[in-house]
Amino acid sequence: MVLPALLVSGALVFYPLVKGFSTSLHTGGGGTGLPSQYVGFDNYSAGLQDPTTGQAIVHTLFYLGIALTLEIAAGLFIAVSLQRVFRGRGIVLAILILPWALPSVVSGLLWRRIFDPQNGLLNHLLLDLHVIHDPQVWLAGAGAIPFITVVHAWGVIPLVTLIFLAGLQSIPDDVYSAAAVDGATPFRQFRHITLPLLLPSMAVAATVGTVAAINIFDEIYVLNGTALNTRSIVMQVYNTTFNQANFSTGTALAFLVGGATALFGILYTVAFRRATV
Amino acid sequence: MKVSRGARVFRRLAVTAIVLWSLLPILVGVVTSLTPRADVQTSGWLPSHPASTAYSTLINGTAISSSDAGIPSPTDTSSFGPTMMNSATITVLSTIAILAVSILAGYGFARLEFRGSRRLFFVILATLVVPVFTVVIALFRLLSTFHLINTYPGLILVFVSVQAPLGIWLFHNYCKELPREPEEAALIDGCTRWQAFRKVVLPQMRSGIAALGAIFMLAVWGEFLIPLLLASTLDTKPVTVLITEFVGKYTTNYPLVMAAGVMAMMPPAIVALVLNRQIRGVLSGSVG
Repeated sequence: MVLPALLVSGALVFYPLVKGFSTSLHTGGGGTGLPSQYVGFDNYSAGLQDPTTGQAIVHTLFYLGIALTLEIAAGLFIAVSLQRVFRGRGIVLAILILPWALPSVVSGLLWRRIFDPQNGLLNHLLLDLHVIHDPQVWLAGAGAIPFITVVHAWGVIPLVTLIFLAGLQSIPDDVYSAAAVDGATPFRQFRHITLPLLLPSMAVAATVGTVAAINIFDEIYVLNGTALNTRSIVMQVYNTTFNQANFSTGTALAFLVGGATALFGILYTVAFRRATV
Repeated sequence: MKVSRGARVFRRLAVTAIVLWSLLPILVGVVTSLTPRADVQTSGWLPSHPASTAYSTLINGTAISSSDAGIPSPTDTSSFGPTMMNSATITVLSTIAILAVSILAGYGFARLEFRGSRRLFFVILATLVVPVFTVVIALFRLLSTFHLINTYPGLILVFVSVQAPLGIWLFHNYCKELPREPEEAALIDGCTRWQAFRKVVLPQMRSGIAALGAIFMLAVWGEFLIPLLLASTLDTKPVTVLITEFVGKYTTNYPLVMAAGVMAMMPPAIVALVLNRQIRGVLSGSVG
């Protein structure tokens, strides 16, 4: 019964993983027409020494930091607002998951229209409100990364919210009632009951958000292509491998990304264990 | 617990903000898709003369000259219909394949104890943390040796390898929670393991299968990077990849792009709305 699963993951995950690692240690080979040669970790250092890789790593850290902040803050706010039962809650929850359900390419396009310098909704609104006096090119300047992160977070927030809602449901109502009787304000209840008891959900949400943010690609591709000012590390891998046709260096970088993702996962698990024990 | 008046007002404001935040970008897309191309740069929030030109162009597959619209010349709108069909085919077939593999393996790992079964289970779970990108390059080369690039079987296999670990894990947890007694009774009555699985276990799993099936459909339909690399010809190219080609480098025919976007988001939006309870269940950590 488990055989199909083993065959598929063996052939399509483990074999490419091993093969890919070997590619990352060689130059030439494959479709390049050059003889394959073992070069140790040269491809890794070559990939890392490319100044655009350094930039891409910095960009990715920005994406990650902004995305996690937005997702956890908005997720908490939405989950707490929807915590109690009220009329129409089911409909609101159904609408809530829509941004998550849409293809990220389509979300990118929707927001591209909002950010468009010519008569985009954002410029339109801000000009009408006299916040700005000339239309802005949002995706060109320093704001490009935050704007793209908003689009990315738009799709991830529903997931984070649902994780928090499940966490909130596990907190018994009595705890709040007891605190209220003791005179705790809603803010203090949130600070001293909700937040500490939500820590496990936070760890899960942070891990989900981190994996999504490190692998950010679709939204950037649609909103700004492979432009250098917003290029993430995965986009750098894509560009190195397929546009510069450098399979070896691309694979080496991909392994670094994979390692970093795993590292973050372990870090969160350890931090979470520390926080709860 | 009683909710104070202030809290109720606050919640009403918050709920309005949440709904606006989730729906506004979608509404912008719908409105833009109905705006005549000439009016996009000038019109206000709503078009004064709504038009469905963009939709009829896409549905009838009229070829557009590259001077109009900033569409790269190799792509014309006649590809839209075929790519929607490709997306549908890939999504349905992949979802069935992913479900089959993960139901069998999930049940197997939950009920059949064999030597090394726990270790194998964790090895498969470990592939959950492998980012697609680490294997996609080697996968690309592997598939090209077998001439599976730009074919349905190649794509479906890749989607199974990407999605099945999650499915196996969720179905494993789901099967663990099913009562053992009905199955054991069937086994005692002389059913084989396979008969017991088909006649007793499978019917009990209906809600879980619907929930996970919906999740996989959404995931596969929305996939972009994998088909961008592995399905670049019209035989298999899904709509997500085609849409990005509609975006011009300097000017973009927004009504057309948005109409394509609206049609491409219809299937996932419908699945998400119809099965939203089940989907929320899976996302918040419980199946069914």
